[in-house]
Amino acid sequence: MSETTEPDARTAAAATDSDRAVLRTDGVTKRFGGLTAVDDVDVEVQKGEIVGLIGPNGAGKSTLFNCITGTLSADEGRVYLQGQDVTDWPEYKIARAGLGRMFQETRIFGDMTVRKNLLLAAQEGGANVGSLLRRPDDTLIERTEELLDYVDLGGLAETRAGRLSFGQQKLIEFAMELMAEPDLLLMDEPAGGINPSMLENLIEYIRTANEDEEATIFLIEHNMDFVMEIADRIYVLAHGERIAEGTPEEIQNDQRVLNAYLGRE
Amino acid sequence: MSTSESEDSTGLLRTVLPPNQVDRVFDFCGENGWKLLALGAVVGALPPLLGLEQGYYMTVVSEMYLFAILALSWDLVGGQTGYPSFGNMAFFGLGAYVTAILVKDFAVAFPVALIAAGLLALLFAALIGAVVLRLRGHYFAIATLGVLLAAQQISRNLDITGGASGKILLQVPSGTVFYYLFFGVLIAEMALIYYLSNTRFGFILNAIRDDEEKATAMGFNTTYYKTAAWMLAALFTGVAGGTYSLFNTFIDPQTAYNGAWNVELIAMALLGGSGTVAGPVIGAFGLHTLIEFVETAFVGWQLVLLGGAVIVTVIGFPEGVVGTLREYASEMAYYERGGMAAVDSGEDTEVTADE
Repeated sequence: MSETTEPDARTAAAATDSDRAVLRTDGVTKRFGGLTAVDDVDVEVQKGEIVGLIGPNGAGKSTLFNCITGTLSADEGRVYLQGQDVTDWPEYKIARAGLGRMFQETRIFGDMTVRKNLLLAAQEGGANVGSLLRRPDDTLIERTEELLDYVDLGGLAETRAGRLSFGQQKLIEFAMELMAEPDLLLMDEPAGGINPSMLENLIEYIRTANEDEEATIFLIEHNMDFVMEIADRIYVLAHGERIAEGTPEEIQNDQRVLNAYLGRE
Repeated sequence: MSTSESEDSTGLLRTVLPPNQVDRVFDFCGENGWKLLALGAVVGALPPLLGLEQGYYMTVVSEMYLFAILALSWDLVGGQTGYPSFGNMAFFGLGAYVTAILVKDFAVAFPVALIAAGLLALLFAALIGAVVLRLRGHYFAIATLGVLLAAQQISRNLDITGGASGKILLQVPSGTVFYYLFFGVLIAEMALIYYLSNTRFGFILNAIRDDEEKATAMGFNTTYYKTAAWMLAALFTGVAGGTYSLFNTFIDPQTAYNGAWNVELIAMALLGGSGTVAGPVIGAFGLHTLIEFVETAFVGWQLVLLGGAVIVTVIGFPEGVVGTLREYASEMAYYERGGMAAVDSGEDTEVTADE
């Protein structure tokens, strides 16, 4: 490789890398009055990666998620999903384009049966009138059985989802995302509020989904052991700014990150 | 499970009517929904053939069907989609006036006028829905009530509606025609809503009721589905109103936009069990029979009774008859199906051993 061609090759490689990114944000900024909750943040998630997003409380993690999903509209910057600029799209359209989301407080449809929750999540047919007015077919119903057995909740298909425990609801929400097979799954604190044995199961499920189904996952997490174990790469936010990026080992030894968590900055 | 159940039984109800038997009834109804509906259609079609003559009883039964249509329409948006409207009688009044005006002033055939009434109500719902369906909860309820009051005032002020004195319609079909018309519309609506409740469209409506933000995050343009449900409800309510104007041979702002009915139809849906197909119909049949009885036995007390019924329902059986029974029937289901075993990650295997 000659010296003259090197910069060109590098930009070209970077460009193709960005094109292949499932998610890319470019200088996303969100202000609430005088407070800049998210300040000029760039993140990139490649296909098949598990990327963590950590930071102290109030760092702007959930706000960044909301800007990506379209729940909030960013004041500045762009959001690209599969290379497509989705910044100004309505939330439902971004979701339909392949973005799945699990909420921090775990949200399922409590008055519907577990099976209906899963059937609803399936994306086949999308919003076309024909498939809206048809009964769900047998392959979809089989798929719900499979997924419920997989998360050890087989037999609860006809139970009202609201009767399940918090941890079970979390698993149902995860199974719904497996049903939907999004290109990118955003998880807001998946490990929050569930017991240690279920946490182990959840780690295993996320790993399997990532390895076998090539699920791409971007997750916010406060449980450091969990995120260090599962993430390929980690971004760190503090006061709305991205202060670090790297592998779990790099992040654990980053002085700025340690300062941010210990409140020295 | 029978041993543990007899230990748990505390009330007489459990002995007389064990939850698992109720559960079996629900399973049976769920598996045979279409057959039951067909059976209902046959049974309901029989009385005039078997000698039910035009008169008081036929009117009462026809009105029962009318209220069932109204309650079921309300429930499609109020119960299935979670948007409690207090303005459904606006569609009823609109349908009633459109039919009356077309039949009387423009000599349009009754069936054609009825179709026009339904379509206009549907169109009106699309326009109004674009505004009011952006609101949620209390705000939605208040806005829809505003629509009803405005519609009533407009028909009072216009010439074409006959102003405050209304319209009298003399040339009308026989009571039997109305009996079958109300009944036919009711069966068609029950069939349609029953069918829809098992499709993706129906699931989405329920999802909007349970958590609209989550539904949006899952990729559903909720406005689109809410408006569709609201238009469908308006269609049936408008047709019911159009039928009623000739059935009653008289229409004025007070009867077309009847405020008491507006509350009654909601009470019927809640009393029977909202969010189901059978619930609002059962509620309408039950409450209308009761109201009719009180009206003849204790003249003038029906609104007091109605108020009492609403209060008792909301406090005692917020899920209504069908919902309460369903909850009762499935109270053990979570445990029987191994819910706890899943929590303890398989340590409590004896719970699921008999599955």
